[in-house]
Amino acid sequence: MRGQEEEALLTDAYIDALLAAHAGAEPALAPPDLPADSLLRRTIEVLEAGLPRFHPSFLFEEALAARLRAAALGARPSSTHDPLAAELIHLPVAATGGLSVVAVDRRLLVGGAIASGVSLAGAAMLAWRRRERDRERPSLGGRRRWLA
Amino acid sequence: MLRRGKEQAEGRLVQFDADRPAVEAAKRDARRFEALYRKYVAQVYSFALYETRDHHSAQDVTSLVFLRALSGLHGFREQAQPPDSSFRVWLFQIARNTLSNERRRERRHPEAPLDLAAHFPAKQDVEQTAVSRDELVRAWQVIEELPPDRRRALVLRFVEEMSAAEIGAVLGRSEGAVRVLIHRAVRSVAQHLGHRSD
Repeated sequence: MRGQEEEALLTDAYIDALLAAHAGAEPALAPPDLPADSLLRRTIEVLEAGLPRFHPSFLFEEALAARLRAAALGARPSSTHDPLAAELIHLPVAATGGLSVVAVDRRLLVGGAIASGVSLAGAAMLAWRRRERDRERPSLGGRRRWLA
Repeated sequence: MLRRGKEQAEGRLVQFDADRPAVEAAKRDARRFEALYRKYVAQVYSFALYETRDHHSAQDVTSLVFLRALSGLHGFREQAQPPDSSFRVWLFQIARNTLSNERRRERRHPEAPLDLAAHFPAKQDVEQTAVSRDELVRAWQVIEELPPDRRRALVLRFVEEMSAAEIGAVLGRSEGAVRVLIHRAVRSVAQHLGHRSD
């Protein structure tokens, strides 16, 4: 068990180092040693590069924001001059009828892509493909968490 | 998530929650909760999506988590020992509990996602890429089969980029136990990638 805990520490340190490298930051501590198993290192690299973070659709995010604002307003006394409350009726996406007219970087949207019938792994695969495509276009640079 | 600041009076390092100003502002005025929501909505949604594998369920869970967090914000107390004090940890604890309740209620069965992975054929020469499509597909096959705690720890570590200590606080396990969980999960994937035996 002790040996496994030590291996687990090395694994954790290597994950930390990879995450820090992709975030453009120096790791807090350099791993004292890499995991001895090259396959283990490779697997950590695959997981670090291959598990994307998904983003909800813009419409969903804004709708929930509006619900939270309404809930927040219900939790406080009303006032006659309330600039934040005015935001409640300003929902520009409500009248657009779809994501296609929202002028934002589509790479940062998940939209309804992960709807029923499209799997999480499939979306991850799409994210992977986009990442690979982006790798060939270094001008986009940086680490992107693709939103399928 | 956590940052260090100097406590000048005592000349020692203390840790405090990076979200403390936003949390305190939201406690004073609930409308300020939106800043916390915007910061964490993708993380919570993503965690829920990995757990439920269903877009609509993930949205439902995300809604419940933030509505519960807003209503319970005054009960959130930063503890003396980070990362348990972290707002993010608290939020993910709500998410974990919400997901458990949803699972009990719905008993939803995940679809078979890996069949659909084939719908995205790679046209370029994947051998030239850092992470090959084949590796990713095989990794996914194992992740799908991992025991829930291992899969959860893996997602929190790699996707949410939480520390082992934070994950421990979310899952109710010790930091060391989380490291071992993650190590075992990674080894399971490694065995599948390399057909390696321990």
